[in-house]
Amino acid sequence: MYSMKINILGTATTKFGELWDVSPRELAREAMHDALDASGLKPFQVDALFVGNMLSGILGNQTNLASLIVEELGAQVPAFRLEGACASGGLALHNAINSLNAGKYKTVLVLGLEKMTDHSQDEITSALSAAGSDEERMAGATFPGIYALMAQAYMREYNIDEETLATISVKNHYHGSLNPKAQFQSPITVADVMKSPKIADPLKLLDCSPVSDGASAVVITSDSSIKTKKPVSIIASEVATDTLSLYNRKSFTSLSAVVNASQKAYQEAGLKPTDVDVAEIHDCFSISEAIAVEDLGFSKKGEGAKDIAKNKMTLFKGKIICNPSGGLKACGHPVGATGIKQIVEITEQLRGEAGKRQVKSAKIGLAHNVGGSGAVAAIHILKGNS
Amino acid sequence: MKTSPVKLWRRQKDIISVIGKRGKILLWTIIRVPAKSFVDQAPYPVVIVRMDDGKKMVGQLVDYEKENLVAGQKVQAVLRRLKTEGKEDAIYYHIKFKPL
Amino acid sequence: MSGIVAYGTYIPKYRLKLSEIAQMWGKESSEIESSLRISEKAVAGFDEDAVTMGIEAAKKAIEVAGIKPGDLQSVYFGSESHPYAVNPSSTIVGEYLGIGNNYFAVDLEFACKAATAGMQITLGLLDSKKIEYGLVVGSDTAQGKPHDALEYTAASAATAYILGGKKSEVIAQVLEMSSFTSDTPDFWRREGAKFPSHFGRFTGEPAYFTHVISEGEKLLKKSGLKPKDFAYCVFHMPNGKFPRVAAKKLGFTPEQLTPSLTVDKIGNPYSASSLLGLAAVLDIAKPKQKIFFVSYGSGAGSDGFIFETTPELLKKQKKIVPVSKQIENKIYISYQTYLRQTHIL
Repeated sequence: MYSMKINILGTATTKFGELWDVSPRELAREAMHDALDASGLKPFQVDALFVGNMLSGILGNQTNLASLIVEELGAQVPAFRLEGACASGGLALHNAINSLNAGKYKTVLVLGLEKMTDHSQDEITSALSAAGSDEERMAGATFPGIYALMAQAYMREYNIDEETLATISVKNHYHGSLNPKAQFQSPITVADVMKSPKIADPLKLLDCSPVSDGASAVVITSDSSIKTKKPVSIIASEVATDTLSLYNRKSFTSLSAVVNASQKAYQEAGLKPTDVDVAEIHDCFSISEAIAVEDLGFSKKGEGAKDIAKNKMTLFKGKIICNPSGGLKACGHPVGATGIKQIVEITEQLRGEAGKRQVKSAKIGLAHNVGGSGAVAAIHILKGNS
Repeated sequence: MKTSPVKLWRRQKDIISVIGKRGKILLWTIIRVPAKSFVDQAPYPVVIVRMDDGKKMVGQLVDYEKENLVAGQKVQAVLRRLKTEGKEDAIYYHIKFKPL
Repeated sequence: MSGIVAYGTYIPKYRLKLSEIAQMWGKESSEIESSLRISEKAVAGFDEDAVTMGIEAAKKAIEVAGIKPGDLQSVYFGSESHPYAVNPSSTIVGEYLGIGNNYFAVDLEFACKAATAGMQITLGLLDSKKIEYGLVVGSDTAQGKPHDALEYTAASAATAYILGGKKSEVIAQVLEMSSFTSDTPDFWRREGAKFPSHFGRFTGEPAYFTHVISEGEKLLKKSGLKPKDFAYCVFHMPNGKFPRVAAKKLGFTPEQLTPSLTVDKIGNPYSASSLLGLAAVLDIAKPKQKIFFVSYGSGAGSDGFIFETTPELLKKQKKIVPVSKQIENKIYISYQTYLRQTHIL
């Protein structure tokens, strides 16, 4: 157990989308410098840099990424890259927090970054399958294919139809339409989802998060002498792992990494699931959010998809609002950036700065970031102190 | 996905013990947007199988008809070519499943 | 005396009707089907090759034989569609069957008679007591060039024979064996060429018939037997017409030939063809019956065998998956799917 109070000084995110004319360096520069400006800090005032990114090696043939990013920061500080597939951002933040708790650093910058659209769909599909196992890759199971198997298991076990799952994408597109940084800002209907082409049965195009570019950054500190106007602190940061392959899991309809990490997080924060006002959920696919709200304790087992369909997690209608940013589906999913974007969104919500998508009186927020098909989960709980 | 002849050789023992073994489909999906290596085989089903000895495996389903895509369908592990290799690459043999 | 201890066969699930091929090229299908006496042919799956099919057939043979894979001391793999030009199919089969490291192995090629030549070699090793059990595989994913005559007949299948010398295990003894060989360029495939070439009607009289008939007559003379002494006759089947003509010429009746005619339903799987016909006969034969067998490989040569079944055959027939059952286990595909599946597209 740690004793440091981790405060968020400033956050920033680039727009997410197909950013053809923006390079990875430019994305990093924009997010980091906007976050520093929001924090009132200069680059040299940062003690270390943590970077979350999955694909720079596979797609861009660039490893040693943290050293590259630190050039864009403009100060030669210690720099680290963390990778856990789509949980890279959450893992970068967790490790940044660990360094503050260890007393090694006092103020650090955490960046999540991904550039995907320089590459063909084939290449991207192949690259994303690196999040799974060799066995899954050689079975020809793509990343959507793995989640499709989960979807089938879930639909069969709880008697849920495709239309009910489709309401999850509909909710997230509605939220995205209220987010100027979102990749997709147009609402969609259940009929739109049902009509969209199949990717891996039963998942269709509009059940799947898109390919995106983007970067998000957050500056955190354990230095209590630095005052901020609307303080937000991170009161829990937990990570848990599970088997790499889906077929080795105990359950096909629940991610025990999420259950374990979130239980540890609730315990660390001294809270219950019902205390959460707003959550950013890792909806790489519609089925992911249905399973997530159950694993996080927001819904009873088997009720997740139905609860979402009944608007229990929708802005202005529900109790625990999920994915006000639009989630991965509508806001976009630049893989390594997502975990940090979630923190940016929750921070804005807890500060009352979320504009048209503000969750009323949001005090406690939760970020749920998952790697692969559930091999690793990073859960963060944030508290608004104003 | 680049396949290495060394990996093929190292995995022989695992494959030898599985060829011909039987199991039942637990879950299935049809991959319609494949990774690069499998573009010429798509669309194709991928199944999670519980083998008769209790172990679970994942693999491509081959030689199937529509009515075989159901939980509980009996399958047998067979050796097939994994994918279409380059003209100068070694051939990678791998376990796939066919309905019984 | 040495002979067949067990056998296994594998026919891929897919069938292409000859009428689909004829329609593609604007030909009259009924004419083609009646002259070739074939209605459909077996097509290998997209991810099958001579080795994967050979392993399926060999696994069945090992089960029927009731021996351990490690008991096999030789593997000869005959094919004209070995997956590699250099790298043995026989050892891939040997490894994945789990037979260990103590075996003779080499790949063979002699057009459609590569595997029957493998049987001759194995019998030599058996009779000289160098081995106790040997495996012979004949397997092909035969290709016919689109719009060529061979497109109607080139098919895929695999056969595996385990030969041994123990009286209590042999189901068909080899009474006589010989070959008739020459250099006759009727059908060939150059290195790197995807499809074989042939010289039309030259593949008939001077090639197939000269060798099959000459070898057949040689067998009869050597053994002193007459056609009526045999319960069955089996010939290589490049189409449905040639074996029928050969049988008649040598003095056999349609009743003796018909059970072996797998070609009518699945086409010509090259190195597996004559051995598949033999398997179909062994599936239904009774003990103490003589079987007349002549293969043919272009280039050219014929391997002849006279087999006599033993009482052991009955027990093992119970374990065998009959050729007829595999012929009936089928899915029809379209010509487009066939082009994709055989990697022509």
